[in-house]
Amino acid sequence: MSWRVVARKDFQDAVRSRALWALSGVFLLLTVGLAVLYATLPVIAGGNPTALGLIFFLAGIIGTFVSIAAILAGYKAVAGERERGTIKITLSLPHTRRDVILGKLLGRTAVLALPVVGALVAGTVVGGVLVGDVAPVATVLLGLVALLFTLAYAGIVVGLSATTGSTTRAAALAIGFFLVVELFWDVVVLALAFVTNGFALPASPTAFPDWLYLVQQVPPSSSFMTSLAAVLPDAPAAAAGAGQAAGQVTAFYATPWVGVVALAVWVVVPIAIGYYRFDAADL
Amino acid sequence: MAAIELEDLTKRYGDVTALDGVDLTVRSGEVFGFLGPNGAGKSTTIDILLDFVRPTSGQAAVLGLDAQASSLEVRRRVGVLPEGYQVYDRLTGRQHVAFVLDSKDVDEEPIDAMARVGIADAADRRASDYSKGMRQRLLLSMALVGDPDLLVLDEPSTGLDPAGVREIRRVVRETADRGATVFFSSHILSQVEAVCDRVGILRDGELVAVDSIEGLRETGGGGETLRVTTDGLPDAALEAVRALEGVGAVRRDGDSLAVEADGTAKTAVLDAIEGAGATVLDFETESRSLEELFLAYTEGGR
Repeated sequence: MSWRVVARKDFQDAVRSRALWALSGVFLLLTVGLAVLYATLPVIAGGNPTALGLIFFLAGIIGTFVSIAAILAGYKAVAGERERGTIKITLSLPHTRRDVILGKLLGRTAVLALPVVGALVAGTVVGGVLVGDVAPVATVLLGLVALLFTLAYAGIVVGLSATTGSTTRAAALAIGFFLVVELFWDVVVLALAFVTNGFALPASPTAFPDWLYLVQQVPPSSSFMTSLAAVLPDAPAAAAGAGQAAGQVTAFYATPWVGVVALAVWVVVPIAIGYYRFDAADL
Repeated sequence: MAAIELEDLTKRYGDVTALDGVDLTVRSGEVFGFLGPNGAGKSTTIDILLDFVRPTSGQAAVLGLDAQASSLEVRRRVGVLPEGYQVYDRLTGRQHVAFVLDSKDVDEEPIDAMARVGIADAADRRASDYSKGMRQRLLLSMALVGDPDLLVLDEPSTGLDPAGVREIRRVVRETADRGATVFFSSHILSQVEAVCDRVGILRDGELVAVDSIEGLRETGGGGETLRVTTDGLPDAALEAVRALEGVGAVRRDGDSLAVEADGTAKTAVLDAIEGAGATVLDFETESRSLEELFLAYTEGGR
């Protein structure tokens, strides 16, 4: 299990990133602050704060943090080692390139998991005390889905990093991904609706074609929210997760479990592409 | 069994040929110096041995194993001191060594491996705080983990102080004494000369010589170097000297000239210089040093 040795080394390395800890500190404060706001400002919770509502409220900030932190902690994962030449230390040892990629993925995921779990615990404890309601099972489920989401994002960034020997290019790829697939994805969705409707916008969002629901799950942070709705169907804010509300879409695939499938695809595909490119490269 | 066996090894990057049909056998148990100027293809060769780079054509075998198909087994039995002394800045020395011990499944305390190269007291400091000499010792201790059958040193002397160079020599000797093979790449002949049984000289991706140091001296002609100082050296003088029989490499240094010539050609060299209109102020002869031999090989009589 040579990837474990690589993962441990990579964890020891990445966990000492000051930038990541600075970002994590801000994230922790934000999470606790938002939990307090949720519990004390009736407007936010719709007049009736609950532990389950709090979980969905916190999931949003977790989604934002993981995407940014993964880029920060991961874009150099492979490209940086190639640029500096330290990859030759690791690869002069008996590790396959597959073990190196796998070890990198798990090492970076573990580093990102620390602030995610820490903030989740802090946020739910503080919020739970103030709300006077706890939802232990739902909290654990949120934690598990958040870890799957973290794994997916680490896979995306490490996978992109593995396609190149230049950190500049790796950073451009990771930021470009974030801009197109996260920030401006709504534009892509609208453009698709526009084009497929014969170059005219549908009269209202309810007139969007059903399959657009799937397109809306593409951004990992949307798949994350939708997955959460799948595992916590009773939550008030759950509905159908990201994108169109349930009921609007009647197709057989209009289930929030689509989000879990999308996350699984994000876990597997980018890292596979990165591995494929890295394995073929002259270092 | 050969420690390293290269057969018609070729590597091209686009239009650039880094290695051009290299055949080489490094015997088991020998200390082999792999010489050549920067960019000659030494690093590419080592990169192929470790499967960092895949050859365009030809074969490379290490310890009897195919360098590509059996790379994992090769790397289990090889210790490598990589070029450039890069380390993981955020890891301590101990974490570096522990990583290698775990990777090679060797049961030893990191601190013991570090003590062997005299850096045990820096074990818990981050490697970014190490001096260049300490980084080199750290990487040496990592390369020696598990007593590898083949030790590959990629340009180990670059930028080292004399103590560092001595340390490299000590490690090479100890490794050879326990019967392992050392493959020592360098662009500096003097650092290879003292420790190597045989050397190979690479130039522009081609192996131009493989021999023992003594053998090289003999095939090099055992000639002498004639150093001539003039009051001003016209290009015509250079051409006249180069055209002479019995003259090897000719190197110009301002108004001085270093000429590789056999004994009978010396007078002719002086005559040729004066014949071209220069005045000889001084001249001396010295028997040809290995350094000049090396230069003659790598510069090809330029």
